[in-house]
Amino acid sequence: MVLLGKIALGFGATLAMAGAYTFHEGLLRVDVDETHGKGSHVHVWVPAAIVPMAMHFIPRDRMRDAGERARNFMPLVHAVAKELEKYPEAELVEVHDGPQYVRIRTHNGNLLIDANEPGQIVHVSCPLATIDDVSSELAAFAPAS
Amino acid sequence: MTSRTRHFFPVIAFLAATSLFAPLGTRAQSSASTSSTGSHGDRWLHVRVISTNAKGETVRVNVPLELAEKVLPAIDHDRLHNGKVRIGCMDCDGVDVRTLFEAVRSSKDGEFVTVQSNDADISVMKKEGMLFVHVHDKNKPKHSQVEVKVPLKVVEALLSGSKDELDIVAGLHALAGQGDVELVSVKDDDNTIRVWLDSKNVTTD
Repeated sequence: MVLLGKIALGFGATLAMAGAYTFHEGLLRVDVDETHGKGSHVHVWVPAAIVPMAMHFIPRDRMRDAGERARNFMPLVHAVAKELEKYPEAELVEVHDGPQYVRIRTHNGNLLIDANEPGQIVHVSCPLATIDDVSSELAAFAPAS
Repeated sequence: MTSRTRHFFPVIAFLAATSLFAPLGTRAQSSASTSSTGSHGDRWLHVRVISTNAKGETVRVNVPLELAEKVLPAIDHDRLHNGKVRIGCMDCDGVDVRTLFEAVRSSKDGEFVTVQSNDADISVMKKEGMLFVHVHDKNKPKHSQVEVKVPLKVVEALLSGSKDELDIVAGLHALAGQGDVELVSVKDDDNTIRVWLDSKNVTTD
């Protein structure tokens, strides 16, 4: 019985560490709320650490296609993400235009985009390291020019 | 397994799990320390547009100059390549911009252009390595004021590229070497526009 308890404790500790690892890079979070009528509500929360891993399960031809489409702007995304990692807390853009509002900032190493307009509210939060990883993965699949 | 090792099994399991993930933690820590040190001495370019119309539009943009310097070379679009923008009129209507700039740069401080009319007052002057342009438009109900302050070193850096192109990255690099400075200030009936440089990553006003 004591042995079982100890095994459970060891297993629990490992599980806790695995959980900590899964979330150590933060969350990729997308919230879209359409506030009009029967508007849709989309809420996606994904541990950022699994995004680059999940990309390995995408069929290679699809990745090649995505890499080719993204080829022109991936170096830019990669450069922006890499540089923004040096600014973990920064207000970058804020635009108020009547009821419309856009705010782009970094917080705790995440890129946060908030956009409000009548009938729609969008919040996106993505760890900068994840953007960098994904852009590198996609760039690797882009055909050489 | 001896009774002694059985006692330590949960501890060993915990330590094994910890050591397995330790390198990641170390990486996260080093990345965090890089982040905090990376922010020291950063120069930020701020743009603020406040509209006094009914909608009350406001635009605030804060850009770290170092980021702009690193990112611009990654843009390869239209006339912008390798941080340089190609413009077709460096010799505009027979005026050689480089020669004109060289003449201004090498001349003593002073007011080069003064125009005073019923519509507007315009002055262009050079003082302590800066080029000042001041426009006072008298036609609008509330007189509009435009003030532009350009460090000559920035202009020199912009023109350091080959003919017919402006080296934006070199210009930004030169700008980063300047102290806190207000580059553009426009005040008129509808808008207040400010472009300035400092070391703060937020605009408080």
